Amino acid sequence: MSNKFSRRDFLKLTGVGAATTAVLTGCGPASRYTKREPYMQMPEYTYNGHSTYYATTCRECAAGCGLIVRTSQGRAIKTEGNANNPLNLGKTCARGQATLHGLYNPDRVTDPMKGGSAMTWDEATQVVADALKNNKPGEIAFLMGLAPDHLFDFVSDLASATGINAPVRFNALDMFDAQATLSKAAENLFGQSGMPLFDVAGAQFVLSFGANFLETWLSPVSYTRGFAGLREAKTKMRGKFIQFEARMSATAAKADEWMPAKPGTEALVALAIGKLAAEIKGGSMPRAFSDVEPKDAAEKSGIKLETLEHIAEMFAHSGGALAIPGGAALGQSNGLAVAEAVLALNALADNFGKAGGVYFSAVAPTQSAAMGQRGASAQQMQEFIQNMKDGKYKVLFIHGANPVFELPAAMGFKEAMKGVEQVISFSTFPDETAAEATYVFPDHHGLESWGYQRVFTGAAQSVLSGLQPVVSPFYNTRATVDVLLAAGQIAGGKFAMSFMDEVEFLRGKIAPLMSESDGLFSAPDLNTFMAYFQQHGGWWKTTDGRTAPATADVLSKSLKATEAEFAGEGEFFFVPFVSPTLAEAGANKPWLQELPDPTTTVMWNSWVAINPETAHELGVDNNDVVKVISEFGEVEVSVYKYPAIRPDTIAIPYGQGHTAYGRYAANRGVNPADLLGANFNEAGDLAFAGVKVKVEKTGKKSVISRLESMMGVYGVGMGEEH
Amino acid sequence: MIRPDEIKMSAEESGKWGMVIDQDLCTGCQACVAACSMENNVPFVGDAFSPSNGEVDINYGRSLHWIRIERFWEGEYPEVKMTPHQPMMCQQCGEAPCEPVCPAFATVHSEAEQLNLMVYNRCIGTRYCGNNCPYQVRSFNWRDYERPEPLPNQLNPDVTVRRRGVMEKCTFCIQRIHKAQDAAKAEGREVADGEFTTACAQACPANAIVFGRIDNPESLVSQLAHQGHGVKHLEELGTQPHVTYFKGG
Repeated sequence: MSNKFSRRDFLKLTGVGAATTAVLTGCGPASRYTKREPYMQMPEYTYNGHSTYYATTCRECAAGCGLIVRTSQGRAIKTEGNANNPLNLGKTCARGQATLHGLYNPDRVTDPMKGGSAMTWDEATQVVADALKNNKPGEIAFLMGLAPDHLFDFVSDLASATGINAPVRFNALDMFDAQATLSKAAENLFGQSGMPLFDVAGAQFVLSFGANFLETWLSPVSYTRGFAGLREAKTKMRGKFIQFEARMSATAAKADEWMPAKPGTEALVALAIGKLAAEIKGGSMPRAFSDVEPKDAAEKSGIKLETLEHIAEMFAHSGGALAIPGGAALGQSNGLAVAEAVLALNALADNFGKAGGVYFSAVAPTQSAAMGQRGASAQQMQEFIQNMKDGKYKVLFIHGANPVFELPAAMGFKEAMKGVEQVISFSTFPDETAAEATYVFPDHHGLESWGYQRVFTGAAQSVLSGLQPVVSPFYNTRATVDVLLAAGQIAGGKFAMSFMDEVEFLRGKIAPLMSESDGLFSAPDLNTFMAYFQQHGGWWKTTDGRTAPATADVLSKSLKATEAEFAGEGEFFFVPFVSPTLAEAGANKPWLQELPDPTTTVMWNSWVAINPETAHELGVDNNDVVKVISEFGEVEVSVYKYPAIRPDTIAIPYGQGHTAYGRYAANRGVNPADLLGANFNEAGDLAFAGVKVKVEKTGKKSVISRLESMMGVYGVGMGEEH
Repeated sequence: MIRPDEIKMSAEESGKWGMVIDQDLCTGCQACVAACSMENNVPFVGDAFSPSNGEVDINYGRSLHWIRIERFWEGEYPEVKMTPHQPMMCQQCGEAPCEPVCPAFATVHSEAEQLNLMVYNRCIGTRYCGNNCPYQVRSFNWRDYERPEPLPNQLNPDVTVRRRGVMEKCTFCIQRIHKAQDAAKAEGREVADGEFTTACAQACPANAIVFGRIDNPESLVSQLAHQGHGVKHLEELGTQPHVTYFKGG
């Protein structure tokens, strides 16, 4: 290179390089495909140095929050909430922010794969076609995640046209939310199915039994806004909030009072509060609360009778009392009884269908009827696994779910995969299930995808959040709908669907919305409607779609004051809880790993939370590795002395402990699901909080990283630094 | 000992941009931390063992967080309480202790924006500023942190990427301030209140963070800041912080 090579020349050269390699999006309102173009033929809405913003939907969880993604030169730079989307009103959680670390993750599945080697999409499509054609319809099964909904609809349509098994959906957050239990309890009490919606913002006094609604429960962004509404004293008094659970979660940390009730006694506590409050209110004692003796409940739960009386008094006198059941309180053998007891408190507060009360969530557009539960419960998954083991499925397609990691190992999904001849994963990432699959035919990342997601709960309106690609696909991936369409054409017969591609299917699904009333927008023709749909990031009604549960005889139902039963002989109750920052699938995003846990400030690792007194008795200190043993398995994990947990309880966050899933996730921390067995409650949910464990010292030490002071760690501050 | 009320301090005298944080609303969810890191190209440090001393960098407080959420404990079980979450970032002091100690004039006060600037290519890494910051909000690039391809595709082109040996901290998203001002100037108008906000405030699901002009009495942030129950941290040091906290409860 000569010395006269000036800076200007250099810029010219690099400019040419950029022009030929840059990837531009061509997904304007009217165009359908994304394509690579040199800067010479810049689409008119793209300018160098200017950002282009696309409305789409977050796929990090199944809530369906609207996003506006800032793109620059064909790259996605930043996600923000879509301020117009009624679910999240412009806000995001940490996972929504870090979704870009999924898109540009260095460990994505880049090509269709068999074993360790890449293949072409033509070969891949042929494999899918053969799988569809050469097996009986009853031998073909689909296991899907809770997002995206358009793919679920497509496979459901395919199933009803061809007779293959209807798709089964599963997600670990569903399991840890105990959604099956919540919806079953609502159905038992109100006689109709649907997902209850709790108007926290409008309430004055909230009692939450284990519902981690500020973390991962149901729709965290929406519920966090509700919490802010509860606290803000704009038009009403600042609302109070009390949380009952054995370990102070990030949600309980925001409560005015944290009540460490003994695990398994939640139903007793709820009914006792109901009884005491009913006594204060006067009148005849409702049958629902007649089965409990408050003094007995106080004794068993470890909460003083005076405290219960005080809470009952506040509950009875508050103008806007609300009781929420959720999480670990329901994930126990008597979870259904707990959920019913807590929901019954709302009947006493007479808040059904009122501001600050309990509603049924609005039925989302394109959804035919109210739905209580989207995903399969763990018990239904057990049946699914049994079918796999029995060889009933010859082909299993998996999309959007990672059951090898998400389900307790004791349920045996991984082993059951051997009973299926062909497992075809559509995973974007090399997760544990994809590692066990025969083939991996990667779908695009959510930000590269078309689709829609029904807002299941959290918004007052009926909302359909729309997805569109914000960047062109970074790797040689292909939309699963397109793969199935192409394979269907090859397979022929009923498998040959009439759609040209995914977008045409999508347009067909949203077309009926044009004739709906009270919509955000309408249009005379489908092209315009679709353009608006992309522009707004979906379609929603402008009217309140929530419905009031039938109130008639909730209080005259007979509710059981039962205590939970626990599996195992150990001395400690065991609470696995979902990491608020990682959740079930965040571990491969480096910035989510670097985020400190809201309660312990631990980063990049797992810990077992033990009360400091208990740790002292056990003779262990921070960072000492202990072995936690249940009757189903054991894990070794470092101790974090957590001041806000019952001395008879230990807790491990769920989200780490991956064995695959990329460099940031693999071989880091432990998976508490390894300690769980296949025990279910009456609603079919996993009794994940119904296990007792033993703790053994190992004599090893392993330092867990955390943001808070490291006083004492490495001898820091102890005069023995090295 | 100087009593706080003896110090003549008023945000209007020196301030322009300010923030109000309601700790009663903050849930500690870390959305702001993630948003800040994505907006400002903050690298992740990771928990790999460092080759030099066999220990983990972030355990020495060597993580790069421009904003962190503090929480403390009060009492013992069962009467234990977590203090309200406290998002802590550069307070954009009117009289910033970090500024006079920099031998390289790398951290200087912006006359135009009344912000505390960090000029990365002047920084020689003495870390005097970090040492002198009473809020402990400056973070130092102890290494060049790896961002494997294709992660750099996500980098924000409006924000400089920092290398080893450079101090960094919250800028109140000055790139967003400039962008909004440019847009307003092109249209011949003033920047309207709420027209733009910082990445942390924009993400916050609880709306606990409000950002805006504190020299404009009409703006939301000034009205909140003057409600009277806000506090400024370590105000008694005379730093004139531009972030007001509502303690909550």
